[in-house]
Amino acid sequence: MKLTPKVTLLAAGVLTATSLTACAGGSASGGSAAGAQPKLTFIQGVAGDEFYVSMQCGIDAAAKASGATVNTQGPAKFDPTLQKPIVDSVVASQPDAILIAPTDVAAMQAPLKAAAAAGIKVVLVDTTVQDPSFAASAIASDNKGGGLEAFKAIKNLSPSGGKVLVISTDPGVSTADARVAGFEEGAKADPSFEYLGVQYSHNDPAEAAKLVSAALAKDPDIVGVFAANTFAAEGTATGIRQAGKQNQVKIVGFDAGPAQVKQLKDGVVQALIAQEPASIGTQGVDQALKAIKGESTQKEIQTGFKQITADNISGDGAKYVYKSSC
Amino acid sequence: MTTTEAVPRTAGTATEISRVHSLRQVLQVQSFQILLVLLVIFLVFSALAPEVFPTWGNVRQIIQNVSILGVLGIGMTFVIVTSGIDLSIGSNLVFSGVVAAKVMQAVGGSGWGTAIVGILVAVGCGLGWGLLNGVLIAKAKVPPLIVTLGTLGGALGLAQVITGGVDIREVPAVLQDTIGYGNVPGTTLPTISLIAMVLILIFGTVLHRTRFGLYTFAVGSNEESARRVGVKVDRQLISIYALSGGLAGVAGILSLSQYGTTAIAGQSATNLNVIAAVVIGGTSLFGGVGTIFGTVVGLFIPAVLQNGFVIVGIQPFWQQVAVGAVLVVAVYVDQRRRAAAARGHSAKSDGKKKLFGRRSS
Amino acid sequence: MTTIPVLEARGLTRSFGNVRALDGVDFDVHAGEVVALIGDNGAGKSTLVKALSGNLALDSGKILFAGGEVELGSPSQASSLGIETVYQDLALAPHLNAAQNMFLGREIPKPGFQGRLGFMDNKAMRAKSREAFDELGATVRSLSDPVGSMSGGQKQAIAIARAVAWAKGVIFLDEPTAALGVVQTRNVLETIRRVRDKGVGVVFISHSMPHVIDVADRVQVLRLGRRVATYEAKKTSVEELVGAMTGALDGAHS
Repeated sequence: MKLTPKVTLLAAGVLTATSLTACAGGSASGGSAAGAQPKLTFIQGVAGDEFYVSMQCGIDAAAKASGATVNTQGPAKFDPTLQKPIVDSVVASQPDAILIAPTDVAAMQAPLKAAAAAGIKVVLVDTTVQDPSFAASAIASDNKGGGLEAFKAIKNLSPSGGKVLVISTDPGVSTADARVAGFEEGAKADPSFEYLGVQYSHNDPAEAAKLVSAALAKDPDIVGVFAANTFAAEGTATGIRQAGKQNQVKIVGFDAGPAQVKQLKDGVVQALIAQEPASIGTQGVDQALKAIKGESTQKEIQTGFKQITADNISGDGAKYVYKSSC
Repeated sequence: MTTTEAVPRTAGTATEISRVHSLRQVLQVQSFQILLVLLVIFLVFSALAPEVFPTWGNVRQIIQNVSILGVLGIGMTFVIVTSGIDLSIGSNLVFSGVVAAKVMQAVGGSGWGTAIVGILVAVGCGLGWGLLNGVLIAKAKVPPLIVTLGTLGGALGLAQVITGGVDIREVPAVLQDTIGYGNVPGTTLPTISLIAMVLILIFGTVLHRTRFGLYTFAVGSNEESARRVGVKVDRQLISIYALSGGLAGVAGILSLSQYGTTAIAGQSATNLNVIAAVVIGGTSLFGGVGTIFGTVVGLFIPAVLQNGFVIVGIQPFWQQVAVGAVLVVAVYVDQRRRAAAARGHSAKSDGKKKLFGRRSS
Repeated sequence: MTTIPVLEARGLTRSFGNVRALDGVDFDVHAGEVVALIGDNGAGKSTLVKALSGNLALDSGKILFAGGEVELGSPSQASSLGIETVYQDLALAPHLNAAQNMFLGREIPKPGFQGRLGFMDNKAMRAKSREAFDELGATVRSLSDPVGSMSGGQKQAIAIARAVAWAKGVIFLDEPTAALGVVQTRNVLETIRRVRDKGVGVVFISHSMPHVIDVADRVQVLRLGRRVATYEAKKTSVEELVGAMTGALDGAHS
């Protein structure tokens, strides 16, 4: 038979089909026996974000200590359309448990519920979904408390009050929304402060810089800005620097990535509210292993935060800085 | 005086009949090469993770996840064949989804009646942006890159204005249950994939078998010539960009069904991913050459690569590197092919020589 | 010749800014006749051809087709009268094959409903293309290879065959042998004779005096946008033609 393209195509197709069916029979057994090494997969919200890297370090360390293996994956952007294919692929690889920071409360609901239904234990870290009842545990910082703490930090820095603004990432991200709510609560309850509202930078530092510049053009007497996450903080500092208002506007950032810590040390940012991502990670591994073993888990865990200022950065505060590699 | 070097008529007819399909074969040779690449990738991962990777459960979800990109890829193939580009498809998708969700919210209910309204609205919005693109490109003669960059920003911006930046998470249950996650009754094939396949078949036939498709290639091959022989080039271009927009509208309602949310912050890299897939599949950025089949293969390569990397446990950044490398190689191969054709070799004989080492008839 | 010319131009003028490209130029070609249009660079040959093929608006002047005055506002208007042009760049789509190029813009639809959907009768188009190429002795080896991969001579043959197939009145050829080798040139000239024998009027622009004298019936010379001379090809010489082109001689012979 001549090797025309059509024939070769057919042959290759047959080869693929047979390899498919040959392996389709046995779906890989997900649940390992109690003695075997548990397989964990950690799905970040964004690959390369220092917050999630610190979380990964905590997870890796805790897993190593308990004899579990960890596969870390994450989308290039905080985007559910990018995260869903990763979740689907992870589910196919049948780990014993998934630790995940969902990028959208609605979009990730069905895929994660399906994972749980397939026998994989799901632990939600940082962000959550609309109905987390299928999850073994949901661990996050007390973001609302963190937002309130941020307001207190601004009050410390500008005791006489004034206009304050919030730069957040995207509306609908549970963690950021909670922080904003906490800050808003504090600001509105305090008569010496005027709350200018919240703007969204879509997790893009350049966008945050533009928003802050525009806000300063509109209200040149802003005294404080609360930046609700890493990228927002970076961009906000840039925007204020470009407007030349470093001395007038106090910035409190949420999250303590290396770039923000540098800004803190340089005096561009005055305070950082750091979460404890490593702790979230460690607790996540703990809950996951419990779930795998069939033990009871804690459905909701709230971790704390630390205020880092120029004063404590060289001492106590240093260990709360987020890492860019483990 | 008869020309003495004329090929004798009978011989001419004989070679002609055996080559009646060879234009298709030429195209298949290019997409055949890329299909081989896909098969190799598939076999490699099957060897690395034999109990997980080549299972129907895993393959099924790869197919489900490329379905929306497949719908977008159809329109992009038409556009790139005319040596144009459409950067606005992601924003168009989001905008169509947003308007459809708002309308469905207003209409109320979660049954098929509401769903059909939503579908029509989404496609209508998509067509609207597509027509705008087409008219600006064909009549105002603004380069496609600039026009679609503009509508990219415009559509997304409007979507954010309409929603205040807050996603709408209310989607009729019928859409989510049947299209989003449902299977074709009696099978395990996802409904969303069937929809994509049907569209691919229809428009693949249009591109490769009808006059509309032929004119698409003609415009991409030599726009001026086409104009001179009476092809209505402007109308053709407007139709093609409208098609791309309309399909983005379809993708918008499919996305709503699959994610249950308008996901305004999403689709950020969709336009480039689709363009990469079309180019990897063998469609030339310079126009005149391309296949829908190649686009489909081109879509699967990054999807299979990512799936395989995740299963095997490779860092996410390598996935981007791998896809980037495949893209560069694909464009390089295209360049080589064009250079060979310019030197006077037929792509068919060149390609076949490379593949089989001897001339088959 | 006493018959009415199939295509005639009287006193055409056209300026581009300060340049008078056509300065009251006359021209005529009869059915079944080969007319060579010659002149130095800038004489207005290409401009005249553009005007007569519907690609150029005129400032003034009359164009007559078979004795009746016509207005050639677009290439398709010219096409519908049976005037076809083969441009110097051939206007072929390089990725399409010979049959597709032949029928571009004029595809044969499949019968019935399928045709209305846009499906084409590729078999019929290929058969007719093969017929047309054979009639002209054009060596097109494969109807399915993209024309971009073919030699200059083959592409020329396809472009001419396309024009011939659709032309019922006049064909314009702009420098048809400019980029061709000896053998291919011979083929093109032979093609021109066959076209004339079909009863179509052929007008070709050329810079090659030997070719002009070889194949043309009449030669019309343009200089500075006007027709300065008309010769019968068999009765003239290269020196005379060159002289008329450059203005060394002044005087027109019929």
